Amino acid sequence: MKSLSHRTFGRAIAFALAMTLLLTCLSSAYATTAEPITIKFWNSFTGADGDQLVELVDRFNQTNTDGIKVEMDISANFADQLTSALAAGTGPALVLMSNAMRYQYDGYLQDVSDIFTQTGMDKSDFIQSYLDYCMDGSAMYLVPFQIVGYYLFWNKDLFTAAGLDPDVAPTTWDEYAEFAAKLTDATKNVYGSGLCYNYPYQLAHVIQRFGDLSVTAADGKWQANFAGNEGYEKFLVTFKKMIDDGVNPVEADTDPMMMAGQIGMTVSGPWITGGLDTADIKYGISLLPEGEAGDMNSVEVLGFGVPTVATDAEKAAAYRFIQWWNSEDANGTSPALEWATNNGFPAYTYSVQAMDSYQSSEKLRITSSADPSAPTDFFVDSRFPDTGIMLFDVLAPLVQRIVFDNTDVATALTDAQTIADGVVARYNQ
Amino acid sequence: MMQRKSMLSYLNKPSRSAYFFVAPSILLLLVFNITPLLASFGLSVSDASITLNQISFVGLDNFTRAFSDARFLNSLRVTLVFSLLEVPLQAFGAMVIGALMVKNNLWNKALRAVFFLPVICSATVIGIMWRMILHSNVGIITYAFSLLGFGKINFMNSAQTTIFVVSFLSIWRSFGISAIIYVTAAQQVSPSLYEAAELDGAGAVRQFFHVTVPSIRSTFWFVLMTRFAGSLQIFDIIYVTTGGGPNFTTESTVTYVYSRAFSSGGDMGYASAMSMVLFVFIMLVTILMYRRMIREG
Repeated sequence: MKSLSHRTFGRAIAFALAMTLLLTCLSSAYATTAEPITIKFWNSFTGADGDQLVELVDRFNQTNTDGIKVEMDISANFADQLTSALAAGTGPALVLMSNAMRYQYDGYLQDVSDIFTQTGMDKSDFIQSYLDYCMDGSAMYLVPFQIVGYYLFWNKDLFTAAGLDPDVAPTTWDEYAEFAAKLTDATKNVYGSGLCYNYPYQLAHVIQRFGDLSVTAADGKWQANFAGNEGYEKFLVTFKKMIDDGVNPVEADTDPMMMAGQIGMTVSGPWITGGLDTADIKYGISLLPEGEAGDMNSVEVLGFGVPTVATDAEKAAAYRFIQWWNSEDANGTSPALEWATNNGFPAYTYSVQAMDSYQSSEKLRITSSADPSAPTDFFVDSRFPDTGIMLFDVLAPLVQRIVFDNTDVATALTDAQTIADGVVARYNQ
Repeated sequence: MMQRKSMLSYLNKPSRSAYFFVAPSILLLLVFNITPLLASFGLSVSDASITLNQISFVGLDNFTRAFSDARFLNSLRVTLVFSLLEVPLQAFGAMVIGALMVKNNLWNKALRAVFFLPVICSATVIGIMWRMILHSNVGIITYAFSLLGFGKINFMNSAQTTIFVVSFLSIWRSFGISAIIYVTAAQQVSPSLYEAAELDGAGAVRQFFHVTVPSIRSTFWFVLMTRFAGSLQIFDIIYVTTGGGPNFTTESTVTYVYSRAFSSGGDMGYASAMSMVLFVFIMLVTILMYRRMIREG
């Protein structure tokens, strides 16, 4: 074996030292590019899902190697808090809000359409109809976080007791009314249908199946569609009849009744499943029956938004958090997957929907079974800036007039049209 | 040094040093009361969005709009009905209950604590609790009433009766504070007056009407004034229990103002104009009652 000369040995040592020094410099240089940064993250997830959000944010803070700390503030007064902050020129770098709400903050949200190029997230993995919800032309103001849809829930035991097949849900609204009548048993305090007169979100998902969207665009202008809407008229007549016949209770909140086994069918979101499971109710879930307005997948998209008060560095940190939220880890899971499986909301990416743990959940399989290319607009054209006012100022009074004042349906629809015309006129100016 | 000395000599006069001591309070009043009030007035004559990024002067348009808005007028009517139900019941009821708890024995102390408990509970908790208790189908009180043969009463969803239920909840929540105020006032009444009345043969009821009530008249007006001002601003209990329903029969002015400002529309200018109308009304009522209270005192 040829021994190394002193010179060669010295050169090898010098080379090794130089390489070590170079690597050290490189690693320290990398570390300095990721300077510690703290970003504020505001949202209104005050329920049990908020606890999970806290846990996930904590996990991000502990595991991310970019020196990013997300300081989350969950508040029931999120809207008031954000409004005051933005008006004062301050506020968070990251928010969670509904697409319907984002128009209120017009000019206060940054375009986040570059998130895909900045982070390497695969845009084609996102279901396009949900992304469209968050876009205005080429600009994107929210990155999908949660898809809120409403589904039909039914009590299987009550179905069996009424002689109905417990595994078969009504597929049309006529069938819904027919099933509801069969399920009703006044002697046992059981109502077939659990629609609430003062729950505009629930009512909107149903009424649009009958008569389509309440506001649409025509010739570049917004147009309200209440007066003479035969679908809406049919829904109102059906609802009133169910109430008068004692098939549907006069209630603003039927969830406790559903959990007490007193409601045969109701329309609600995935959040009701927790209560139903706890109450040991055997229930089925399906997509909402199709009405005269045709196939639709009406949803509300909640998304991550970056307010204009965020600096470039804060925006980059927010992007990193959103990327982490949507990234699969070594165990084959991701925060987005955990969120979907724990809360029952359908995922907004194809990759999460394809995961085994997602597919193994019957609830998720059903809630994700809507045709993703079906229209996702919720009650109004998704580009109309004020869903809230149509829900609370037009739909809710309309339904309550029918229920409590016994107003003639056609007259009530004409009056609703007058109010809605006033609203759309403001946005047409 | 000279400046400090002259400052000290300036403040040495009691009338001047008084300003120094009240300055923090004045500062707080300016920052947290006067400024928001002026800002609210400014907004009420403007067309302002929720984020205040677009503000334009519209004069009295918002006020004109308010007085032609059927929902606002309805909310004023609901607020007035609510106040007329809540305030007299509370002011008189608490006086009677307070009179029964004047003596500082253990039983009365326990009763005062029980009456006071709802005062320290949040309106949200109270609202959710009562919503469940009075639920048309799963509520325990509804069930109890049906067992007594009253049938199934829909307490929270009746256009005719829900306003009474909401008024009751509000009374139940704030009754304790009014009762405690009366107890404190009644304890200040000289025992010699009761002794004299007793010597004249007056029983407990006559003593209440002829000694207690006249002696605590100013307290009565104080309770009436504060409760009236409070009930005209009712929001939380209604917001949590009925949200203004059914069919707007419990929608108070503040609930409507909130919905205009935050829930839908984000119309801060219009919401502020309605708030100003309510503010003026409350101020007038308060001034009238305050003058009466001072006279009684």
